[in-house]
Amino acid sequence: MNPVAPVAADPILLDTITRLFGDTCSHEVVQAAESEGWAPTVWAPFAETGAPWIAVPEGAGGSGGTLADAVGVLRLVGRYAAPVPAAETGLLGGWLAAAAGFDLPAGPLTVVPGRSEDDLVLDGSNLSGAAHRVPWAARADLVLALVDGRIVAVDPNGPGVEIVPVRNAAGEPRETVLFRGASARVADAPAGVDASALRRRGALARGALIVGALDRVGEVTVGYANERQQFGQRIARFQAVAQHLVRLVSEIQLVSMALDAATAAATVGDAAFEIASLKVLAGDAGSEVVARAHQSHGAIGMTQEYVLHQLTRRVFAWREEFGSTAFWREELGRLVGDAGADRLYPLISQGSAALA
Amino acid sequence: MAGSSFEYTVLTPSEEALRDEVREFLRTELPPGSYEPDLGMSATHSPEFSKKMAARGWVGMSVPRRYGGPERTAVDRFIVVEEMLRSGAPVGAHWVADRQTAPTIMKFGTDAQRERFLPAIAAGECYFSIGMSEPDAGSDLAAVRTTATRGDGGWFLNGTKIWTSGAHQNHWFIVLCRTSASEGDKHEGLSQLIVDLHAPGIEINPIPFLDGTHHFNEVVMTDVFVPDELVLGEIGRGWQQVNSELAYERAGPDRWLSVYACFEHLLRERVHGTPGARTAEVIGGITARFFALRNLSLSVSRTIDRGGAPAVEAAIVKDLGTMFEQDMIAALHDLWGAEPSLDAPTTGERMLARAVLTGPSFTLRGGTNEILRTIASRGLLGWYGLAGAR
Repeated sequence: MNPVAPVAADPILLDTITRLFGDTCSHEVVQAAESEGWAPTVWAPFAETGAPWIAVPEGAGGSGGTLADAVGVLRLVGRYAAPVPAAETGLLGGWLAAAAGFDLPAGPLTVVPGRSEDDLVLDGSNLSGAAHRVPWAARADLVLALVDGRIVAVDPNGPGVEIVPVRNAAGEPRETVLFRGASARVADAPAGVDASALRRRGALARGALIVGALDRVGEVTVGYANERQQFGQRIARFQAVAQHLVRLVSEIQLVSMALDAATAAATVGDAAFEIASLKVLAGDAGSEVVARAHQSHGAIGMTQEYVLHQLTRRVFAWREEFGSTAFWREELGRLVGDAGADRLYPLISQGSAALA
Repeated sequence: MAGSSFEYTVLTPSEEALRDEVREFLRTELPPGSYEPDLGMSATHSPEFSKKMAARGWVGMSVPRRYGGPERTAVDRFIVVEEMLRSGAPVGAHWVADRQTAPTIMKFGTDAQRERFLPAIAAGECYFSIGMSEPDAGSDLAAVRTTATRGDGGWFLNGTKIWTSGAHQNHWFIVLCRTSASEGDKHEGLSQLIVDLHAPGIEINPIPFLDGTHHFNEVVMTDVFVPDELVLGEIGRGWQQVNSELAYERAGPDRWLSVYACFEHLLRERVHGTPGARTAEVIGGITARFFALRNLSLSVSRTIDRGGAPAVEAAIVKDLGTMFEQDMIAALHDLWGAEPSLDAPTTGERMLARAVLTGPSFTLRGGTNEILRTIASRGLLGWYGLAGAR
């Protein structure tokens, strides 16, 4: 009936991952990963910590830990633009594998996000059809998908699978995977594991990545405006620039709050209201924050040499995934309309708990 | 990571009980359809309603028990204000006294002033206006020209205050004035006096608001005598005191709930069953922002209760909130608005017409958002560990 209290991520874990990405995700490494499609020098030490499998139960081969831990790690992945399939391996793929009772392979996992243009068909244990925008498919040990209420897992390097290279706006692999009667492991999806649940978890994960990237956009922009001198003084001293800084930092605070509320709600329930709100605000903040960050920087922000683009292009890419901003706005509006005017304020103040 | 004090928080069971109590009170006292809802804090002046709220301990909530108040927390006040404003309740009479006068008198007032005003405020019987702006002192508040000159046992006030909401209905206002000439720094030499709006020498002239309503006044003071016992705080410390007072008014639900009741009424009037795509998109976009803003605003109250001083956070909530209110008016009007009409047949449409007309004031009242951002920008440096960069 009432919303749940905040849940904090493990500070030691966050500290470890912060240092790890700080050491491994240099500007050059992130840049190189975009052309090569993979960054072994990031994935290997990241996998070593077990962090990719956080929130996947230990009994299922995962690292255990809470949803808040996983969200905290994803926020850092976003902050450092770390080129690793963290969400796909844990919150999404690991979740599906655990629900199906499949053993986890040693390497990364990926998932079929489930887009309207997909046409996957399961015939016994053979999978056919096309899956679109599958993250890092060529690098994954296993591709997991939901097909007709069943969880299926296919080795993307096995026979009957072709991978067509496609990248998102940030140069991250989002391949088209063509299955031609590929051999699949199949299990019935338990209650609560379906296409909408996958989309919600995906949206929460993308929300966390976006907030992480925006955290750093704020830091970089405020820092730059306090160093860069024009007309004989720091540009942050000009009111016009100061307005940009306050507005962009404000939007970051807003979406960051939405992430914390969504994480708390998703720990105990489906968090349909909170996650939809998060993805809407992350998309809106993407426009507002990115525009003001670039405007504050001037031309340097538009170059490959400077860090800003590694963050802003990822925000542009991630906000389209697992439901666009417009998709989630509409989804949320229907939820509110169905709940009715009498439950509007309970929803705003209590979130999904008001629907329970 | 940014070092703001925003932290997600939820209501405790006893706070939830308070919220339920307020909702029950509103169901009894203001049943739907029995009143025309107001747009947030620019609410109807109803001493009767204020006294009913006071009887529940919901006016002057911060006032300590020894001064006749309920001594409640900032979060408790948040809850009461939230429920009142979202219902468009007539909270106009006690609004300023509750939000900023009571905490200001508690902080800077003498014991005699506290004894005199705080019990009356908490009883819902003593109403205040704000005496800051002047014809030549708007955003540049330190430019006030109202002067107080020393007399026998007190001060003689001369000058003009402007945009004084409710001066024609309220009992007192706290006047920011110059008590000594400024030599160099104009922030020096300012003081605050508590002034009886019915004192000899006070002339109150209405300034009609653009929609024809009467909130604003010009208050002309000619040799108004203010006894020494009504000097608030220290002579010469007016600037510091006024800034502290302004901080109280920034982050509350009044900065993002002004148009909520309009939204709810239009939803009830216009949406039956699952909305179509365009309607759903607008509703979804508004609701998401309400949800996150409320959490930011609540978090500021929680921080205050923990002894923090979230000044930048409060400025950010006011900026985000008031801009959201205006964006929301535009979105609702775009989606549902016919020509705005104060005589429209439904509550939601009449409220939307009032919102369209008066919405531009939302980012002005209490200080323009542009000035607010300039102040907030200085605080950002500390958040990002750049405090030395200035």
